[in-house]
Amino acid sequence: MSMHWYVARRVAWAVIATYLILSITFGLLAVAPGDGQTAFAFKAATQGGDVDEAQETFDEITGRDEPLLTRYKNYMVNMATLNWGWSFTRNQPVLDAIAQAYPYSLMYAVPATLISIIAGYAIGLYSATHQYTLTDYFGTFTAFFGISIPNFWFGIMLILVFAVDLGWLPSYYQTGRGVWTVANAKQLILPIIVLSTGAIAGNMRYSRAEALEYVHADFVKTARAKGADDWRVLVRHIFRPALVPLMTILVADILGLLFAGAYITEVVFQIPGLGLLSYKAIIQQDTALVMATTLIPVFIAIIGNLVQDIAYTVLDPRISYGDR
Amino acid sequence: MAADTRSETAATERFEDVDWDDVGGLGFPRRTLALGVSSLAYLVAVVYDVFLTEDALVSGTNWLFLLTLLAGVFFVAWPLAENRRLTAYYWRRFKKNRAAVISAIYLLVVFVLGTFGPMLIAKPELNVLAAYQPPVFLSVDSSVPTSCVGQAADGLCHGTWKYPLGTTSDGKGIARLVVFGMRVSMQVGLITMLIVISIGTVVGTSAAYFSGLVDELLMRYVDIQQTFPTFFLFLIVTYLFKPSLFLLITIFGFLGWGGIARLVRSEALQRREESYIQAAENAGASDGWIIRRHLMPNVSNTVITAATLLIPSFILFEATFAFLGLTDPSTPSWGQVISSGRGDLDSAWWIATIPGVFLFFTVLAFNFVGDALRDALDPRSEGDA
Repeated sequence: MSMHWYVARRVAWAVIATYLILSITFGLLAVAPGDGQTAFAFKAATQGGDVDEAQETFDEITGRDEPLLTRYKNYMVNMATLNWGWSFTRNQPVLDAIAQAYPYSLMYAVPATLISIIAGYAIGLYSATHQYTLTDYFGTFTAFFGISIPNFWFGIMLILVFAVDLGWLPSYYQTGRGVWTVANAKQLILPIIVLSTGAIAGNMRYSRAEALEYVHADFVKTARAKGADDWRVLVRHIFRPALVPLMTILVADILGLLFAGAYITEVVFQIPGLGLLSYKAIIQQDTALVMATTLIPVFIAIIGNLVQDIAYTVLDPRISYGDR
Repeated sequence: MAADTRSETAATERFEDVDWDDVGGLGFPRRTLALGVSSLAYLVAVVYDVFLTEDALVSGTNWLFLLTLLAGVFFVAWPLAENRRLTAYYWRRFKKNRAAVISAIYLLVVFVLGTFGPMLIAKPELNVLAAYQPPVFLSVDSSVPTSCVGQAADGLCHGTWKYPLGTTSDGKGIARLVVFGMRVSMQVGLITMLIVISIGTVVGTSAAYFSGLVDELLMRYVDIQQTFPTFFLFLIVTYLFKPSLFLLITIFGFLGWGGIARLVRSEALQRREESYIQAAENAGASDGWIIRRHLMPNVSNTVITAATLLIPSFILFEATFAFLGLTDPSTPSWGQVISSGRGDLDSAWWIATIPGVFLFFTVLAFNFVGDALRDALDPRSEGDA
């Protein structure tokens, strides 16, 4: 099978997966007892409106009085045309709310990703080439610490130590401090630490295991015998072959880890990004916003998987396409 | 074996002449018999509880937990007790890792306390008068608690043995909350693991054994399931339906087995080519028999290791959702207590700290044990790694 055919098939598969997920979500929405109806009616009542009327308005907006098939068709068309609905708690289209929120997520997620990749791979490679040394044990221990510590609790403990007891850093995020300012950087330090710890540990374990496969390989021994220095062996002979699986792990797993981790981090530190937006939407029963903010990570995960598989086949000539 | 030794002693005796009743007979072995009886008893009890009593006497989660314990006895403890030599061999390899041995002891304590503790001690109750008591041996400024249960001296309130780990903002004893939280964490971890390994092993071995269309269908389904992040799916589901521990366990259990299935499949594909499988096929064994008796036991080490490393992630997910307030608020869990102490960090630091310590060490211990099990059980990981 040619590679083009494989890529085409893989893309088609991603489209099918997206379609299935949207259908499942629709099904869940259709059978769920209360999808924000009560909250909507309550809001109408507190604003002096009539509850029954609000009920009708809600049915009209969500199209609940129409037959299921029509609703399904409308839902799919709306999803495809990015008409993702209206957030009644924020009085703005859902996509606008998301557009306002995601820069805050990027502000700490991008540095955290970069740190976790660089630090994780560096420690992992070092551990692999210096196996069974004190540093290796220390690295392994750090990895265990990183994957075991609950993100949200770690965040709270950091707040307790660095904000409450020592008073060095602010305990929660405040908007309006600019982007490239010291004040903003200071309030991003703790979220970045929390988010990157787990990811560093993950990257470290993968890169150590990957690199170990090549540390004792014949071509590495040959390179050493021919007088290549440590650095050259590490970069040219170990890191290069190990990079292929590492890169692919990076795409999907990091994305997943960051998204789930970001959700918690934002709630703990009150950063008004996508996670907090979604959390507030859940608490306030804003269905359209809940759907959008949870589906976006899902789509990103699908795309991440797609990119991962394609990158794998392009980068690694040993992969046979017929297998999958 | 029996036939071998006999043929040496008495040349006239042949395989066909062996008196099988002498060497145990064709009846069921004791384990199968006990398993059958207890599963039957379990089924009857569940049916009675569901259909014949007004309110369920035991909650769905507790029934599942009981099932998990039964499975643990029959598929882990019993075989280990029967094969002493193998158990001793595994133990020798396992105990090389001292951190893992300590972790295993810690987990055992948590397991026993969590399973039996909630039956013996009362559920922590609201008591406004006893709010914000510090842990024993520690003290806090008298202005923090509404009234000091222990000794108050020099403007300091000292902790008392009545609340060894202090109390929360509504006066619940943290020590009791921790014990109740142990049960929740163990239930989530172990039940979900049971569901995940049962489905994962059946799907993985069937895909490998039957290959062709069955393999294609099962694995394509796994692909779809794996692309959907369970974290966000659970968010949607808790939003739309009433959240509960049962819901969390079923969702993570029934949607989380994809990884195990893939692992089992790749392992079973290698086993499929072994000569003992061909021998069994030639001897006329049925598909189910071969999968059950020859494939599954030979992939079990891989499964157990992978499953042990999955448990901590389930525990962390539960704690996270409890922290977010997206689980049943009436079930006391570690994440919930941590969340309740979040607002009092400057005055009552122990509320958020203590349950988190238990959570962290439980997760860490499972990771250590899983790692040591991989070294002990998995022949491929010998030497390096």
